[in-house]
Amino acid sequence: MTHEPLSHDQAALLNQRAIAKRKVATVLQYVFAIAVTLFMIFPLYWMFITSVKSQEEVLLALPTFWPREWHFENYRNVLSRANFSKYYYNTIIMTAGILFSQVVTGVLAAYGFSKVRFKGQKILFLIVLGALMIPLQVTFIPLYIMFANWKLTDTFLGLILPEMVSPYYIFMMRQAFLTVDDSYIEAAKLDGMGRLGIITRVLVPMCKSTLITITLVTFTNGWNSYFWPKIIAKNETRRVLTVGLVHLRNTFAGLDTMNNHEIMAGAVLAVLPVIILFFVFQKYMLTGYEKTAMK
Amino acid sequence: MKKIVLLSATLLLAISMLFAGGVAESKAAPAAPAVSYEVTEPITIEWWHALEQQYWPLVDEIVGGFNSTHPLIKVEAKYIGNYTTLNETLVAAHAAGTGLPALSAANTPYVAEYGKGGLTEDLTPYIKATNYDIDDFGAGMIAATSYEGKQVTVPFLISTQVMYYNKTMAEKEGIVIPAKIDDMEAFLAKATKKAADGTTTRWATIIPGWDQWYFETFYLNSGVKIVNDDRVSTDLAGPAATALTKKFQDWVKKGYTYWASGTSASSNMRQNFIDQKAFSVIHTSSLYNTYINLVKDFEVGMAWLPAGETKKSEIGGSVLLIPAKNDQKTKNAAWEFLQYLIGKDVNMKWADGTGYIPTRNSVLNTSEGQEFLQRKPAFKAIFDNLDEINPRIQHAGWNQLATIWKSYLDQIMIEGVSVDENLQLMAEEINEVLADSE
Amino acid sequence: MKQQKSLHRRIQEGKDFGTVLPALLFLGIFVYYPVVQVVRISFTNWNLINDNYSYVGMKNWIWLFQGSGTKYLINSLKVTALYTIGELAITIIGGMLFAIIFNRITKSFSVMRALVFLPKYVAMSSAAVVFIWILNTQNGILNYFLEQLGQSRVNWLGDRNRALGSILMLTGWRTVGYGMMIYIASMRGISSSYYEAASIDGASKFVQFTRITLPLLSPTTLFLFVTTFISAMKVFQSVDVLTGGGPYRSTEVIVFMIYKYAMEDFRMDRAATIAVFFFVILLAITAATMKISSKRVNYDA
Repeated sequence: MTHEPLSHDQAALLNQRAIAKRKVATVLQYVFAIAVTLFMIFPLYWMFITSVKSQEEVLLALPTFWPREWHFENYRNVLSRANFSKYYYNTIIMTAGILFSQVVTGVLAAYGFSKVRFKGQKILFLIVLGALMIPLQVTFIPLYIMFANWKLTDTFLGLILPEMVSPYYIFMMRQAFLTVDDSYIEAAKLDGMGRLGIITRVLVPMCKSTLITITLVTFTNGWNSYFWPKIIAKNETRRVLTVGLVHLRNTFAGLDTMNNHEIMAGAVLAVLPVIILFFVFQKYMLTGYEKTAMK
Repeated sequence: MKKIVLLSATLLLAISMLFAGGVAESKAAPAAPAVSYEVTEPITIEWWHALEQQYWPLVDEIVGGFNSTHPLIKVEAKYIGNYTTLNETLVAAHAAGTGLPALSAANTPYVAEYGKGGLTEDLTPYIKATNYDIDDFGAGMIAATSYEGKQVTVPFLISTQVMYYNKTMAEKEGIVIPAKIDDMEAFLAKATKKAADGTTTRWATIIPGWDQWYFETFYLNSGVKIVNDDRVSTDLAGPAATALTKKFQDWVKKGYTYWASGTSASSNMRQNFIDQKAFSVIHTSSLYNTYINLVKDFEVGMAWLPAGETKKSEIGGSVLLIPAKNDQKTKNAAWEFLQYLIGKDVNMKWADGTGYIPTRNSVLNTSEGQEFLQRKPAFKAIFDNLDEINPRIQHAGWNQLATIWKSYLDQIMIEGVSVDENLQLMAEEINEVLADSE
Repeated sequence: MKQQKSLHRRIQEGKDFGTVLPALLFLGIFVYYPVVQVVRISFTNWNLINDNYSYVGMKNWIWLFQGSGTKYLINSLKVTALYTIGELAITIIGGMLFAIIFNRITKSFSVMRALVFLPKYVAMSSAAVVFIWILNTQNGILNYFLEQLGQSRVNWLGDRNRALGSILMLTGWRTVGYGMMIYIASMRGISSSYYEAASIDGASKFVQFTRITLPLLSPTTLFLFVTTFISAMKVFQSVDVLTGGGPYRSTEVIVFMIYKYAMEDFRMDRAATIAVFFFVILLAITAATMKISSKRVNYDA
């Protein structure tokens, strides 16, 4: 289709219209975006607001959107009466244990599957990947019985062991290691570095961002895990935050809706660490998910 | 490569040998013929219970009383959750063989299951050895807490089904709670209040659907056996049961009552009664004190449930048991504490501080019982009918039956589905479960 | 002539193998071995409260496929399928929509995206506890808003027709931000020259979207589809906390059913049977999706 050449004025007019249209579109986009964001953030806002209200205020027929008085003692109550400090401790130890073992086994195996050769390497790597397809929801039955037989119920080992190795971790680190040029390895060998030295002083530093990203994913998954800890740690002694929060909610069921101010305080305590981590390490966390998409 | 495969296969095979036979934790039969039941060294033990928050001060007081008078034993009381949670935690610990408490409470329907599965220690030798006066409990309670003749648990906090009603409202409006189920229709119609558009503003009563213990007695008193004599089938789809179920459904449809079920059903029901949105509620006698404390605006009365051919009620509440997989030292300490907990005086403390019934014949039939009635006059309804309190039906598959029954009745009452068809389906499932667990 | 490896070479290979040994050992014991066990248990009559059990052949399998367990199996497969479709729709369509709305390279949008993505970091079980309160029929804030808008209160968790939807609400809240981020990352990867060329040809924004963006995003869509499908089938936490499988099993997804049989009824035998069946389904789906992904994808030539 041919266009007649526009006069200067006509072109200017069209241009103005286009700019106006774009401005409207931009404003609309901002409005939508802000509305949606507020909507999405509402549950967390409501959780926090409820956690600092008094019991009476929470149960008012007409809800308030800003607390009349601030009741931070809800947090104190939840920590002491509902044993949340113990749950915190258990969760920290469990997550640390999982983190440590997944990193160590993951980095080692990633090295073994990328920078060296040995017989059967390909098949063994497939075996590692194959484990990705075997979910805990299927294996938990015999695992539970095994751990019961070994008297590992309600113990830290019980919480940590099934999650000690992550095929996902191995896979991602291997990808990262593969991008490291072999010349660095050769140079390190010439300097007399052994395997561990190569891993810790060459490979890991060069893949730092991937390492941090995946490690953050591991931390989050460990901190938020619910299914296995619920099964293996029924007793209060080794209960973790996620399970403890739900347990708190269920055991107040006799008095039910009357205790939500404290239950929300518990919820805030349970989710706060990961949220803080998220904002601090945002750059890494966002790219982590993108990287997996880009394959 | 081959070596690796061979090695791992052998490893797998070796490990599976370990578990091939299953968890064959054979109980070590007590070798010494004379087992001592005495506590000789200091020991700390755990007691698991399901008593909600409002009872904790009382629990602390009673446990404290024991700890201060028994220097060798220190008891730590632990609230595990409701009876269902307590059951799950107990069975899990039993399966693992570790983490068991020295003493635990349990809901009465679990007695048969635990007895059959070997979870509880048989207390008969303990009773014999210490000459414990178990007969003070009365035949009904003894039967309810035994399994196959063995005293596997002891009665602890006993309750029964009752109807709490608004006495003030009853006197003002002249409402009388019927003695017979046949007279219930008239009572329900009178006690219900409706708005102009037909919705109910005040229910005559509320029937708990979350626990079949509450409506079970209506069936039992109408001639339904629930578990037939052959122990592997049910008559819950038979003519008597079907007729009663249809009656319930009809009452719900007419708006006289509603079937309380789902999360918060119990506290919602309580709240409706307190807010005078219900004339009466069917609940457990153990919550008497709670109702008295929460109700400010009217007098609370307690009535025996309307009866049929019989007016039986069933024992409820909890028993105490000693897990079998503990060592003898722990069991001895537990036995000491157990005797204290069910002792006459402590039992009275429980009865006074809660709504649980005094369990001892030596109390109920004497002046002490009269004094108790003076403190809690509403309990007359129960005292007049003590002989009607029966042990629960004992069957290892009982809890599965209850779950199925409840879920079908929920649908029938709340969704209004066809009674005949669904009771048939339900009976098939229950029969399978009963046969499976006998 | 076959070359013999020197002893030194062999030792080196051994040490190299040693780096992967810990991982393999753990996976063998804690992942692969249990698979063998769960199959074995499905042929027993193991009730956890008893100390012993015996082998009963196909009894559990018959119960599952031809007995009283069949209707529960079908129910949970149906519920799981419905839920999976729901989660897929929200993640892909919702994620796409959100990606369009939030696709702007400014600081403020960056912050907003982070806030929308944040729910993914809240544990599902903990978020569920908050949602129980929000969805409470009498005092929940959602019903309050509904009433303000002139609607009547809804029994979100107790009504068998609404319960699954309520669970999807929770899922959607957590997952739509994730879909959004994935799509935005991929959108950024599309060369702008395509759009410029299309503009010059007079294509409207809508046409540009459907003819350029969507097709070029198809690998991403496929990725989201596959991963969301598998993870949706394994849903448990939201069901466990929000509804406990009810009302009337209307939200009893398959993992919850397995869990209930194993840890609440203590029927290890039945739970194992369902678990094995579920595992087979998962494998079949994974195999199918791998076949599909090798066919239906447009790549940037």
